[in-house]
Amino acid sequence: MEDQSSKQTYGLSTPSMHLLLNEFPLNQVESREIIDKILLSFKDVPGGLMVILNEIQSQIGYISQPIQEYISAILNIPVSTITGVVSFYSFFTTKPRGDHTIKFCMGTACYVGGTPQLMRKAEQILDIQTGDTTPDNHITMEVCRCVGSCSQAPVVVVDEQLYGRVRPSKIPPLIREIMKTYEDS
Amino acid sequence: MIPITINGKQYDVPEGKTLLRVAQDLGITIPSLCDHPDLTPHGGCRLCDVEVKGLRNPIAACTLPVSANMEIMTETEDLQDARKTILELMLVNYHGPLSIENGKTNYFLKWCQQYNVDVQNKMRKEPKYKVDSDPNPFIRVDLNQCILCTRCIRACAEIQGRFVWGMANRGIENQIIAGSGVPLLQARCESCGACVDYCPTGALGHKPSFGAGSSEKKVQTTCSFCGVGCNFDLNVKNDQVIKITPNPNAPVNGKHLCVKGRYGYKFINHPDRLKQPMVREYLLQDGQKNSQEIGPWVEVDWDTALTIVAKKLIQIKHESDPDSIGLLTSAKCTNEENYLMNKLSRQVIGTHNIDHCARLCHSSTVSGLAMSFGSGAMSNTVQDIVDHAESIFIIGSNTTEQHPVIGSKIRQAIIRRKVKLIVADPRKIDIAEFSSIYLRHKAGTDVALINGLMHIILENNWQDQQYIDERCENFEEFKATLAGYSPEIVSSITGISVNDLIKTAEMMAAHKPMAVFWAMGITQHSTGVLNVLTLANLQMLLGNMGVPGGGVNPLRGQNNVQGACDMGGLPNVFPGYQTVTSQDFIDKFNLAWQTKSSSGKHDNELSIKPGLTSTEMIPMALDGKIRALYIMGENPLVTDPDVNHTRKCLQACDFIVLQEIFPSDTSAFADVLLPGVSFAEKDGTFTNTERRVQLVRQAITPKGSAKPDWEILSNLANKILNEEQREITGEFAGWDYKNASEIMEEIGALTPSYAGINYDRLNHGESLHWPVKDSQHPGTPILHIGSFTRGKGKFHPTEHIDPKEMPDEEFPLLLTTGRVLYHWHAGEMTRRSSDLLEVYPGAYIEVHPEDAIKYGIRQNQQITLNSRRGTTRGKALITDRVSPGLVFANFHFPGEQNTNNLTIAALDPVAKIPEYKVCAVKLVIE
Repeated sequence: MEDQSSKQTYGLSTPSMHLLLNEFPLNQVESREIIDKILLSFKDVPGGLMVILNEIQSQIGYISQPIQEYISAILNIPVSTITGVVSFYSFFTTKPRGDHTIKFCMGTACYVGGTPQLMRKAEQILDIQTGDTTPDNHITMEVCRCVGSCSQAPVVVVDEQLYGRVRPSKIPPLIREIMKTYEDS
Repeated sequence: MIPITINGKQYDVPEGKTLLRVAQDLGITIPSLCDHPDLTPHGGCRLCDVEVKGLRNPIAACTLPVSANMEIMTETEDLQDARKTILELMLVNYHGPLSIENGKTNYFLKWCQQYNVDVQNKMRKEPKYKVDSDPNPFIRVDLNQCILCTRCIRACAEIQGRFVWGMANRGIENQIIAGSGVPLLQARCESCGACVDYCPTGALGHKPSFGAGSSEKKVQTTCSFCGVGCNFDLNVKNDQVIKITPNPNAPVNGKHLCVKGRYGYKFINHPDRLKQPMVREYLLQDGQKNSQEIGPWVEVDWDTALTIVAKKLIQIKHESDPDSIGLLTSAKCTNEENYLMNKLSRQVIGTHNIDHCARLCHSSTVSGLAMSFGSGAMSNTVQDIVDHAESIFIIGSNTTEQHPVIGSKIRQAIIRRKVKLIVADPRKIDIAEFSSIYLRHKAGTDVALINGLMHIILENNWQDQQYIDERCENFEEFKATLAGYSPEIVSSITGISVNDLIKTAEMMAAHKPMAVFWAMGITQHSTGVLNVLTLANLQMLLGNMGVPGGGVNPLRGQNNVQGACDMGGLPNVFPGYQTVTSQDFIDKFNLAWQTKSSSGKHDNELSIKPGLTSTEMIPMALDGKIRALYIMGENPLVTDPDVNHTRKCLQACDFIVLQEIFPSDTSAFADVLLPGVSFAEKDGTFTNTERRVQLVRQAITPKGSAKPDWEILSNLANKILNEEQREITGEFAGWDYKNASEIMEEIGALTPSYAGINYDRLNHGESLHWPVKDSQHPGTPILHIGSFTRGKGKFHPTEHIDPKEMPDEEFPLLLTTGRVLYHWHAGEMTRRSSDLLEVYPGAYIEVHPEDAIKYGIRQNQQITLNSRRGTTRGKALITDRVSPGLVFANFHFPGEQNTNNLTIAALDPVAKIPEYKVCAVKLVIE
């Protein structure tokens, strides 16, 4: 509906819900239903925003800008507040993640223990930058804050599974392990 | 009062304040960056940490309430060390110029200097963020100078009520963001500039004045845009206005301003400004006007121009009669100038044919409220309502765009005091977000809606019967008419559900006092007076009149439209609403203005018959009954309904004099152009929407040979009197004014409600609301306390009547018109303020998404609207602000973009106000 050729300069009017609902993923019936159900369940719960963001993150997989605008409109919370929360916690992402996530702990102990070298190794093998997802959408590389396993530093978290005392040489077999699930099918 | 000790000295201080505020009041400096007296305490910067005896660690003074016997040290060596470290830590991400005064004071650098921080060596070596990163034309964003104090975030939320700014990311990546990290205007920024004013560093700046340097002088004056009456300082350098800064002593707005007031000053120095009087060539030759081709302009001196005008007006007056001349005075000009227009019209020319744009905006309010209460003006002040109202009802006013500072004050009242807000408007305007109940009723069904609410109130016995019995009359007759407005019937007329009607009535009854605000959405209907009478009924029914926090509050659109009405710029009243139909007042002004000689019948005796309204005058030019028009600062060719017709009327006029600052559309039909000046170049007073009279002060010299309008009028009057050889003597009859103050003295002497107003009082900072009965009288902020101006408040039965033109098969859409935040009125000033025009460069037509799909329109596509009277073009703005079947357009743009090509000149029978708000159109794609 948006005519990109001419710049929309009048930014004042209340965001048009109709236009918002044309944006991905709100224009997908399935996603809309999931998001609406979450909003409806926790709309009136005090402090419900965190629960809503958590649920959307785990069920949709990310909280993109249109989703943030939509939450803002339904909950009547300024979108700047919602963006503030989403960008504060590294658990929330604004882009879709791959099927699997490798998180590299950047807590002090892990950092000193060699996380940067682990990341470099993984970036080499997967040919992506940390924060990105492989083109086949299989693996996302991310950094995370201290996961509380400092005694086992450096630590890498693959999906929900934690690996301790990881050496750069352990990275290739770890990635092979993940990729194996695709070879089988 | 409680005793505390600061730096070894004992003080008695009031309880309930924070330590920082107490210290500030005592004149003790504690450094701080994130705190501001107008904002809630934040406690983020830690610079105000002080040592309190008995506490192990230093504690932030800005969040610490004082308690008895506290012993505080504010400047120990430890504290100084800590502060230095805090400042150095802030410098890690800081990069910017080193001068403290860089257009505005950089308090961060000031404290760095105080605590001997080596800024040059400690700050970041290169900028981390793009400098001037936001594309909007008003607010300059440089995140490299941001110290994360969050004052902008709090200012946006607490002062403007917009919540644009927020804080994103964390740790070293912490930064302020607009909305979800988008450019400001996309994040719904209203460009009020409050965040810039509260920013203690150079992170946020005013783009239009960036690099303009510091001013030579500041002149406090009154804004010349809407009727709110904000005061601010014009900053002058080299005889030019370089910027506008808020003045904390401003009685209405304090330090707050809106985008037009703060940034819309560039028109003052626009090259289009008229600098020399001009006449059409034919006037210098044989004087024969060619009705087909009006001929070129010739620049002349003042004497030539005024002589031509004087002779021509006298000629027409003698050939026909004085009533064949009409005058349009101006709500943009000062009280003094409007008084002189009224005197020129009545005393010198001898006609009551004087009117101005109030005819087109609030004439129905003036008529309606005069019938109900005896006085047609806003009854309470904005501050009173913000402080005392329990609920606010806004109907037909897009307050946050048209009266932005009042809009933000209402939002503040809702945020701070949890005042209930009810909004009724066919468009879902921005303030509706803040409402407890939003009613989207059909355009033109206001009487039905309010009558329906009153029906429910009476049915439940929620009315204030004691108030009605004591202070009002005609209640029973009024009550009888409400029988026909059952919730079910009203629901079918207005489109509001029965449930919402009941909820609304209940809220109105439960939260008193309630203040009603309205503007053009109520008045600009062929039923304008009925709408106003109905709202007056509602307020009497609930006992909300004459009480703090209540009242009827019509928001006046122009800076001095209240004053122009007060000064007799209307065909039926002398200054101060002294009616021309009363022989007493005729005698009074005959004597004052010496229009009646002692020897019986005199040529120039004042008539007891009211003159013509502007909406009658202009059409009468077609049949020759009006032959000449004298227009000061108005642009009927943009603002009148059905302008195609207006064009024909102006073309038919023998002689048009236009006194203006710009060559407007109307000037194409003028015979003489007299250059007046802007508000920055003259002295005078404006009366704001609250009846508050405020000074306008000259800051710069007039451009070219332009003259203050009061001087032009005086010179012209003297010229005419000379030519006619009329000898006029008498204290109030002559025209030899030395300054604007002398004119105000004459106004005070002849106008009871302005009797106590003079420049001495205003210059001493008094803020006076008329009526001010004498030089000791303090003014009247709230009207109708104890009893109404007319004695008893009168209930008027009102009935719903459909608008004159409703959508049909050929013209299936309903058009409603209005204004937008970035422009003002006919746009002569805002379209010449480049920054405002950049944000809103042309006409947009709001269309509902469903209609957009139906017609196949994309966002921003050029579309055309046709009505039975004309055509207008604009870009489609697809939005659910409007409802399906309703389109909205503004009237700020002239020519083919002018919405008034479409509107209908259906007039209210009493007030003669045209029905701008409803007409039928069809939409065509190009």
